[in-house]
Amino acid sequence: MAKQLAFYVDINKCSGCKACQIACKDRSNLPVGVRWRKVFQYEGGEWVDQNGQMIPSSVYTYSVSSACMHCKKPICMDVCPTSAISKRNDGIVLINADMCIGCRYCSWACPYGAPQFNEELNVMTKCDMCQDLVDKGERPACVESCPYRAMDFGPLDEIREKYGTFADPAPLPDPAITEPAVVYKPNKITKSSRSGDGRLMNLEEL
Amino acid sequence: MDTREWALLAFTILGQTAAGLMIVLMIVRAYLARAGGDLADRLTNRPLFLVVPLMALALLASLFHLGSPLNIARAVPNIGYSWLSREVVIAVAFVIFAALYTYLQWRKVGSESLRTAIGWITALLALAYIYAMGMVYMIATQPAWNTLATPVTFIVGSLLIGSLGMAAALVMGHAGLKKTETPIVNNVLQGLAISAIVLLGIEFVVLPLYLAYLATQGGAALQSLNMMIGLYGFVFFLRLLTLFVGAGVLAAYLYRNAAVADKEQTLATLAYSAFALALIGEAMGRFIFYATHYRIGL
Repeated sequence: MAKQLAFYVDINKCSGCKACQIACKDRSNLPVGVRWRKVFQYEGGEWVDQNGQMIPSSVYTYSVSSACMHCKKPICMDVCPTSAISKRNDGIVLINADMCIGCRYCSWACPYGAPQFNEELNVMTKCDMCQDLVDKGERPACVESCPYRAMDFGPLDEIREKYGTFADPAPLPDPAITEPAVVYKPNKITKSSRSGDGRLMNLEEL
Repeated sequence: MDTREWALLAFTILGQTAAGLMIVLMIVRAYLARAGGDLADRLTNRPLFLVVPLMALALLASLFHLGSPLNIARAVPNIGYSWLSREVVIAVAFVIFAALYTYLQWRKVGSESLRTAIGWITALLALAYIYAMGMVYMIATQPAWNTLATPVTFIVGSLLIGSLGMAAALVMGHAGLKKTETPIVNNVLQGLAISAIVLLGIEFVVLPLYLAYLATQGGAALQSLNMMIGLYGFVFFLRLLTLFVGAGVLAAYLYRNAAVADKEQTLATLAYSAFALALIGEAMGRFIFYATHYRIGL
């Protein structure tokens, strides 16, 4: 069996520019409202009043680029009534549009919001890790587009060897739920999914 | 809540009504059959004829939830993992058996015991259908749904609507009763009223436990709780009130009046309004159910 493929994102390098999101939307020709890759801006902390002056004490913000995690335990695949969702040998989780009935059960289940309904096709769609490019030995569009070179892609064990195993930045959910095939490099202010006391910002962009 | 979830609201309420009627109907038949004669057939065939049309409407409504409804036949293969597959399969089995039983009862085909056996199989399928309907929402990433309260309240709600629906069907047949039959039917009405009150009691035990559970969970569960008692607080209150008046107060009056002779008109008014209120209360509860769920994560 081929090795499970995975995405890598360096939160320290990411500026939240959303080039990955746009590259994905462009390459996959996604309609309005469907974004297979999204960049979430997370912030928290507070200002303190010091002698009448507001001083930022623990204020933080960072961006988390997220798409389908091509999980080891894909909850979307378990709940799908039609078996339209499958996992390739190399771990890429795919939706077969011909089999999908558009019941949206997968979107209720996936904690990453990966499966999204396409109003033009009337079926669920999601990140396919640019499987055609991957099959040609190339890398997914989002990874290639990052101007900060904050993203990488490859077999999960190699990615983990290079970058560690952290997969738990807030606002992402606890990785124990679906065992996502992803690695993030945290920066000094990155909170974990359990200790996250912040909130998502700029919701109108999501 | 968007249009597609209204489709699910219609599907679940119609399905619960059909299944609840079927289950209660078989229990009532078993009691009436002891009185002998054709009393059981005369009183329970009428609501039985409603089961299949109600299910047909329910399944039709469910199609409006789908992006590609023409592919519905494909919703079966993942029966080993997906409760949605199981719900679809059991619902179809229920409709087929309900249609068969209705036909046999209507045309008086087959022996009494054969028909009764098929009736009970249909009632069991109805129960399994409602259980599967609840289990569909037991998703690990939906904390407001993923509790035992979900399948329990789906079943309790279904039996509640079924009991009061059956009571409404019985008072409809009151006029055609012989003198000796009236007390038997009134006994059944009393039984149905008590069953409604007991089921209401279960709802009123489960509900506070459920809310307390959500409050202790934090995160998405707490978000759901805040929406239930915040934005939808008024609907939540109305739902409790409707349920309490319908399945509590009116059912209690139904019980009392069924003990007195010649109260047909009062009994009819009570049974119809109790049934209507239970139905509206359950629908409001389902509205809140779909409108306030939050998924864990992004």
